[in-house]
Amino acid sequence: MPKNITIYTTDTCSYCPMVKQYLKSKGLSYDEVNLEKHPERQDEVFKMSGALTVPVTIVTQQDDSQEVVVGYNLSRLAPAIA
Amino acid sequence: MPHDLVIVGAGPAALSAAIYTCREDIDTLLFEKGAIGGLAAVTDWVDNYPGFEKGISGLDLAEQMRRQAERFGAKIELGEVQRIEDQGKLKKLTTTEGDIYAKAVLIATGSDYKKIGVPGEKEYYARGVHYCATCDGAFYRDKRLVVVGGGNSAVQESMFLTKFASHIDILVRSKLRASDVLIKELEKHKDKITIHLATTTDEIIGSGGKVTKVIGTDTATGKKVEFPTDGVFVFVGLMPNTKFLEGSNIQVDEVGLIKSDPKLMTNVPGIFVAGDVRSGATLQIASATGEGATAALMIRKYLEDLEREG
Repeated sequence: MPKNITIYTTDTCSYCPMVKQYLKSKGLSYDEVNLEKHPERQDEVFKMSGALTVPVTIVTQQDDSQEVVVGYNLSRLAPAIA
Repeated sequence: MPHDLVIVGAGPAALSAAIYTCREDIDTLLFEKGAIGGLAAVTDWVDNYPGFEKGISGLDLAEQMRRQAERFGAKIELGEVQRIEDQGKLKKLTTTEGDIYAKAVLIATGSDYKKIGVPGEKEYYARGVHYCATCDGAFYRDKRLVVVGGGNSAVQESMFLTKFASHIDILVRSKLRASDVLIKELEKHKDKITIHLATTTDEIIGSGGKVTKVIGTDTATGKKVEFPTDGVFVFVGLMPNTKFLEGSNIQVDEVGLIKSDPKLMTNVPGIFVAGDVRSGATLQIASATGEGATAALMIRKYLEDLEREG
């Protein structure tokens, strides 16, 4: 079970609700950072993900290690939240 | 226990087929490796799908289709089908979630964005080169953009991008192929959009890890042209998702689209095809859902005949 999940999103991103729905279906809560409401945090997500795209999901494990999942990528997200 | 039907994909064609088959208690499993709703789900706005007089967002349309299919009992599993093998009355599907068996298969895998195939495109993917305006447009508020393409998607998504960008240069290789209604609507954005006809896109150049300009050729004069930009959005067409059929005996045409007979069946009995991945499809959401419904009726008949044979 992860310690924390943060999703970076925008209002127009079609894949963002899909990630949120997937996490909800697994009974997991998450923090959301909307980059349109907080454009000052775009650099932060770019540094972590290397990509100018959303969704970006940061999964922090119990040992504080982090998995960065770019896009709607269940083959990476599923093992990260397991 | 084999399923009656496995549908590879969960876009409009697949969901439409599932609505029909599930309503008739045909045990139906959909297998989707990406986003439910396919490319329709990431389309900013859909104005030409019947039944929505004011139009609807692609995401909402896809979501409603999904809920409708699930209301009738459709099960959507997330994973990837890697291989389909014809074993006569049964089909074996090798997937990331294990092997599954079905009496009939509907391939509705749709298509993915085509690349231009120029230097810089791969290097700057997702860091200045994008294929989805609704996904990534918000990163370019008050920035300059280049859009490559001259069809409906290029025009539609350019208009969407004006919500964010300060200016958009559309590079069109020959002439605009978009529908007249979209070209007319484009006029309303001429303060923010400049169209460059007969202009190829030759290279995407960056510096410090970010895109800075696009170099092209004005084919009328043969001169090189440069477009300073912060990002490039590419809408140059689609390519079918049929790579997983390599090595199978399912026939495809010269561009990889799956061939079918008038009943939407491939050359393999019991394997059907519908939507954008089908050779001859007209690449509209409305036609995809129509093909999905047609395929469902053909599949129902196929399964009835199969049961009669025993």
